[in-house]
Amino acid sequence: MNPPDLHALKLGDESAWDAAFDWLWPTVFAVAQLKLQPFLPDEVEDTAIEALEELVAKVRSVNSVEELKPLAASIAHNRGVSLLRNRFAKKRGAGKTESLDVPAEDGKAKDEPASGDSPLDSLAEKELAARLQKSLAELKPPQGEILSDFFLHGLRYEEIAKKRGVAVGSVGVYLKRGLEAMRRIWGQEENS
Amino acid sequence: MNMNNERFFNLAMKVIAHQAADVERAEFDALLASQSELRVEFARLETDARVAKDALPMMDAMEATAREFPAYARQRLQTKVRQTLGRPVAKQESDRSVAWGWRWILGLTVATAAVLFVALPIFRAPGGPVIGVAMLDTVGAVRTSDTNETEILKQQWRNSTFQSFDKSDSLENWETNWPEGNKVTAKVVYDRAAGEVRVSLHGLAKPQQRTFVIERDLAATIQEANAFIQEQTKH
Repeated sequence: MNPPDLHALKLGDESAWDAAFDWLWPTVFAVAQLKLQPFLPDEVEDTAIEALEELVAKVRSVNSVEELKPLAASIAHNRGVSLLRNRFAKKRGAGKTESLDVPAEDGKAKDEPASGDSPLDSLAEKELAARLQKSLAELKPPQGEILSDFFLHGLRYEEIAKKRGVAVGSVGVYLKRGLEAMRRIWGQEENS
Repeated sequence: MNMNNERFFNLAMKVIAHQAADVERAEFDALLASQSELRVEFARLETDARVAKDALPMMDAMEATAREFPAYARQRLQTKVRQTLGRPVAKQESDRSVAWGWRWILGLTVATAAVLFVALPIFRAPGGPVIGVAMLDTVGAVRTSDTNETEILKQQWRNSTFQSFDKSDSLENWETNWPEGNKVTAKVVYDRAAGEVRVSLHGLAKPQQRTFVIERDLAATIQEANAFIQEQTKH
């Protein structure tokens, strides 16, 4: 699927937006799912749709079509974070709602997400979008894949080497270079 | 990476990922104990790993392609497009020759920002569906055109009463709040800024929604909308 025509989108062209919705939907849905599936699964689809609505309102500030997906992803992410914070704040709020969950020692319900734990949650959507775009550009194959294999899928060095067709001794090198790139892009000292 | 750094890095990765064997964990602890600067580096690697765990799934999400956009959301989002960005220039140009009256109203209303919302609560046609009609004006209207349009709506659906609102949120609440029971109900929304009339039908075997873009004038469009309601509810 090809990216939509940004100029036509800014003019409100219906067919361009139809194409854009098809193109962006898998991304906004996947991001909303990442944040909400464990806690508010019924809100995933609505949040993804609302993210696209918000994107419509912001499209005139977009300078290139490459910015669209990261921006849509960031909007969906921040909406998900905001929804979780609101829901769980209400749940704890002033005894208005009696929770059935057993509070943990820190006062949070046991099924409550750890708020503020993710460094991404504190970023404004444009900042988050810019860093996502940069990460995609800078993590050259197979760096991103090897980082995912190790940190997301829990594969061992030997398993990664076999899966990616690289020497076991190279896996650590890829991991190190990949993490260094992530540090450059996401590290507070370079970006604040 | 030199040999010592490489060894430390690989051990640190395994510790972070909970993959270190006992002997590797012991070697790692010994390295930390002997070189205090490695503690700082390990803390940084832990932070990097946490960022990677959060950012990588989002990066994967941006390459997702499999999921199909739900059909029911398309109309809602296209309405948002029209409300936010207006109708495409080419479309407006083609309307010029045949829709002068409508464009005149839009031209006057674009300059103002007040919101006027008129709702005709509900009337019941004998043996027909319950119909509710609402008008949303997100750009404001001059009094004359406002009155004209209200009259057009009243003539189409007689015995109706009108209410004024000033927020689109109110419309959304009204539009999505259906009465209980199985009675067939229709809601008609005249969205002035978007230049369209939306019809939603509830209580049928399958909920229906259709948008009628105002190509000529409001009167002709609401006749189309009414014909659609009658067609869908004629049983």
